[in-house]
Amino acid sequence: MSRIQVFQPFLPLLALMLASCGGEDTSGFIERPLSDSEKEFRLAETSMDRFRYSTSPSAAAGENSGGGASGLAYEVPEGWSEKAGSMMRDLNFTFGANGEGECYIARLPGAGGGLSANVNRWRSQMGAQPLSDEEVNALPTRPLFGQPARFITVDGTFSPGMGSNQTFPNYRLIGLILASDAGAVFVKMTGPKELVEQNSAAFDQFVSSLGVNAN
Amino acid sequence: MASPSPNPDWSPRSWPRLVYRFFTSFKLATVVLVFMTLVTLLGTLGQVEHGLHAAKEKYFHSFLFFDKIFGIPVLLPGGLLLMILLFTNMTLGAIVKVKKRWKGFGMLISHIGMLMLLAGGFVTWAFSTDGYMALYPGMKSNRVESYREWQLEIMPLSKEGVAEKAWIYPAEQLETMMPDEPRIIQDDSLPFDVVINGYAKNGTPIPTSAPMAAGVTGKEIDGFKLSPQKPSKEAEQNLPGCFIEIRPRDGGDPIEAILWAGSYRFDPREKPMPFTFTIGDQLYGALLVKKSWTVPFSVKLDEFIFERHPGVSMARNYESRVTRFEEGQPDKPLEIKMNEPMRHSGYTFFQESFGPSGAQPGDEMFSQFAVANNPADQWPLYSLIVTGVGLAVHFLIMLVHFTTRSRKRFTSNPASA
Repeated sequence: MSRIQVFQPFLPLLALMLASCGGEDTSGFIERPLSDSEKEFRLAETSMDRFRYSTSPSAAAGENSGGGASGLAYEVPEGWSEKAGSMMRDLNFTFGANGEGECYIARLPGAGGGLSANVNRWRSQMGAQPLSDEEVNALPTRPLFGQPARFITVDGTFSPGMGSNQTFPNYRLIGLILASDAGAVFVKMTGPKELVEQNSAAFDQFVSSLGVNAN
Repeated sequence: MASPSPNPDWSPRSWPRLVYRFFTSFKLATVVLVFMTLVTLLGTLGQVEHGLHAAKEKYFHSFLFFDKIFGIPVLLPGGLLLMILLFTNMTLGAIVKVKKRWKGFGMLISHIGMLMLLAGGFVTWAFSTDGYMALYPGMKSNRVESYREWQLEIMPLSKEGVAEKAWIYPAEQLETMMPDEPRIIQDDSLPFDVVINGYAKNGTPIPTSAPMAAGVTGKEIDGFKLSPQKPSKEAEQNLPGCFIEIRPRDGGDPIEAILWAGSYRFDPREKPMPFTFTIGDQLYGALLVKKSWTVPFSVKLDEFIFERHPGVSMARNYESRVTRFEEGQPDKPLEIKMNEPMRHSGYTFFQESFGPSGAQPGDEMFSQFAVANNPADQWPLYSLIVTGVGLAVHFLIMLVHFTTRSRKRFTSNPASA
């Protein structure tokens, strides 16, 4: 018996192993009836619904305390103007003589892209070097919705991106990022450095006033 | 135990004897116990970095694992290997090999007790299940859901969103998928094949209009990208995601979608939201759902009692009044409280938590039970009793032996007293 003949019984197994090394693996389903508690589904019309993204813009501007369609309760600091929300911004404010300062809240389901990625995205918008995971985890925390959120502050030249090539030198970004069971929350304020400094107390007041609307 | 000969015989004929000698040696028991102490220490510290579930898997449910000690990577024996070695060593060394004498009877019983403890640990590891059941008052169920395991379901849907059956790609298979591995799932009774790709154990779909989508590589489908995330330390918080491609067998255009576990329910009243598609005239849904199984009886939540500390939202006390329904048995009203679980048919229902999160005073709340099925649930208690009896017998025998010997010494030489 040659050596090849000895291995003949193993050739089908070898073929199976080779097949599983590359390309697409093929496997099967298990069919089963659904119990009563499993039978009903909600037919979501869009991926936006299916992935739980809020499409409701915030309440109309001009009120001193909010609680509109965003489902959030908050106090609008003096000198801030509330603007209409957008798909990615639940609450949107401007401040300063010409509305050059901006503050907004965004909420995302899940981890929202991850803490480090978002911290470094904000830093890159200010022209700052990225931080390592260890450095991000060492950032100070401040309470947001009663949970510790990472506090970020960066000075530099602000490049908002999103299709805009404009840059704004001598700007400051301060923000909070909270990754919780219920999703990720971002509070971000940008503006000329002096203006942001003047509004840092208003930022703290706004953040501490934030809550979930009970109604 | 026999001491090894000065010049051991290494010929193949003597191998079985050498193996037997190795597994019955006291030195092996000592080394295993030292490693167990080390692995317990590393596992306890590892929980901080990896979380409870991942640390259990790495340190205690493994044969071997790598860990860094003072920055140096070291290959170490896992808890499973150490337990098997200790069980073998104790069975062969302390039960089989040891001389059976009256004096050693108590120790023999104690060793049997310790073996029961090890065997119980193995049965728990191999056969126990744990999950949860969440119910609002008035809801009744016999279905338990896994905390951590997700499976893919394809179901034919009515226009009202009702399905009678589902085709399941099991969690055990799905969890083995690598992010860049495509897998075709087929069933003759379905008019299409399903290709799963880009599986992420934890992920988030991000709209391409969002700034954070810029850094996400991978396919864009229906205005979204799937952003893989680092798995959470708490494995229950992971929300997996994947791409699927529906390939109709009649040659129609393939349909692509992102599936995300967040489309499943977070609340027992919520209806899961599948990705829907039509093949021929039939509407189908595809969804990542938690693995689930049934218990042989149903539980109905009659009342959930929830008390808060005055002036704050922190829970002071919560308990559930339930009725257990079982075929051929009278309905049984019961209370499930903290530290007072319901045990029945091998299952234990613990009062675990409540929801929804952020519920205000006056809001209706659901009660969540941890449901454990562990055939070796009571074995640690039994093994401790057996070990305790063995030690008591041993001390008694030693006492009798000592007093008998002292009396003999006294009677043979009364002057020595």
